[in-house]
Amino acid sequence: MKNTALEIEGLDSFALARAIRAGDCSACEVLEASMARIERTDGAVNAFTGKSYPRARQEAAAVDALCARGEALPPLAGVPYAVKNLFDIAGEVTLAGSKINRSHAPAAQDAFLVGRMQAAGAVLLGALNMDEYAYGFTTENTHYGATHNPHDLTRVAGGSSGGSGAAVAAGQVGITLGSDTNGSIRVPASLCGVWGLKPTFGRLSRRGSYPFVHSIDHLGPLADSVDSLALVYDALQSPDPLDPGCHASSVQPVGDLSRGLAGLRIGVLGGYFHEHASAPARDALMIAAKALGATDVVTWPDAVQGRAAAFIISAAEGGSLHLDDLRIRADDFEPLSVDRFIAGALTPAHWYLRAQRFRRVYRDKVNALFQHWDVLLAPATPVAAPEIGAEWIDINGTRHPSRPSMGLLTQPVSFAGCPVVAAPLWPAGSAGLPIGVQVIAAPWREDLALRAAFALQSAGVAHLKPVEL
Amino acid sequence: MNEMHILAYVKASAAAQGLVLDDARAQRVASHLARTAHLAQLLEGFPLGVEDEPAELYRPLPFSEIPHKEGAP
Repeated sequence: MKNTALEIEGLDSFALARAIRAGDCSACEVLEASMARIERTDGAVNAFTGKSYPRARQEAAAVDALCARGEALPPLAGVPYAVKNLFDIAGEVTLAGSKINRSHAPAAQDAFLVGRMQAAGAVLLGALNMDEYAYGFTTENTHYGATHNPHDLTRVAGGSSGGSGAAVAAGQVGITLGSDTNGSIRVPASLCGVWGLKPTFGRLSRRGSYPFVHSIDHLGPLADSVDSLALVYDALQSPDPLDPGCHASSVQPVGDLSRGLAGLRIGVLGGYFHEHASAPARDALMIAAKALGATDVVTWPDAVQGRAAAFIISAAEGGSLHLDDLRIRADDFEPLSVDRFIAGALTPAHWYLRAQRFRRVYRDKVNALFQHWDVLLAPATPVAAPEIGAEWIDINGTRHPSRPSMGLLTQPVSFAGCPVVAAPLWPAGSAGLPIGVQVIAAPWREDLALRAAFALQSAGVAHLKPVEL
Repeated sequence: MNEMHILAYVKASAAAQGLVLDDARAQRVASHLARTAHLAQLLEGFPLGVEDEPAELYRPLPFSEIPHKEGAP
């Protein structure tokens, strides 16, 4: 029996892929529903900076043609998705959230991961808003407008992959791709109430994406369910010898998510992660811990220094990358971050090198922690989404600058390179807004983080909520 | 470094890098750099030995691709 447009909107991407495979709906019907939803809602949300509808129609028609011939369909056949506008899309200019890049030539070919999505049969709807050059946590982009949080349009969507979080939360597409250097997948996932995966550093190829910090940049998916997240993550995996930062030499499929928690040692991060979490963020963590039966409090080694080193390396590499443009056209940069870029370009070499030397020691300490634990939990953001334009947030009575502080809890974890699933929780005391919980595993053990995330979803405590737009 | 030192450093190093900053921008950049200086201070207190090398990214060649043939130099 055919699904109506309304029924298609109610399905997550995993279920959509199954429905298309079963012939319950066509890829073109799914595409039409997705485009209609984008047209109806994006005036309010501002997630998209570019739409690739002609390409999407071609890709959807190709899937339906495969179906008509009775051929086997790839895993994401007919599933709509969109990408942060730092991914190359053949024939489009890769903006990376900037005004400066508008004068660049269009990309000659798709980014490696966009190619993986196409090979998996997914249908590309367009490019998504972000903080300029990924240097921000709020997607308050002066050139393209702020992306609005679909759960409260007066609030930020998080960043820097804000369009990627908002598009999933708004039901425009069920899968998006983003990047995460210091929290840029996990922060918007937390504030928009969607699932996000920052894989192990070096797991997925970054080739064909516009860089921010070579030493720490990761790419990964956001999605509408754990099943969808795992499905797209497996489709994205592939060794890439042409990306010097891609260290995975083989594909490691996630496997059966429903194996449960048997044998998993799960702890709750205290100390730094407790001190920098507001009451609602702590509540989100406790809901997740209770659902997973986690009671032991664990101390993450040198979290303060880990965050400091991530901050310094990001500033120095980001500033260096853009130094030529900062010299001749600083006024064309995002006003909210240009001074930070300049400060980064002036970072003394000693600070940068000490941070890189510290990172090696830090990595060994973090990896040693996972000899005793399989999964660790922590809030993803200190607070729920602040209002657009807010300069300050309050964390337990202390005032912090709003924009950099949204990454306080994510930076120490990504600096170690560990894989993290951001799970959407709905704590008390946050005015109905979501706050994510980080489900953290040892490097290369995305499967364990996804298994624990699946248990959270199965327990009914982590999930998306519909929005009215 | 105190605030005055940082501002002086910003002005001197910006000039050396070819960055033109007016006074207002130099002040804003200095406040950002002061925040970074505070974070750098946290790392100064962390014990590192001369043997603690930077985290690696560069590799001259993947190890397994080095040819080792008998009789070859």
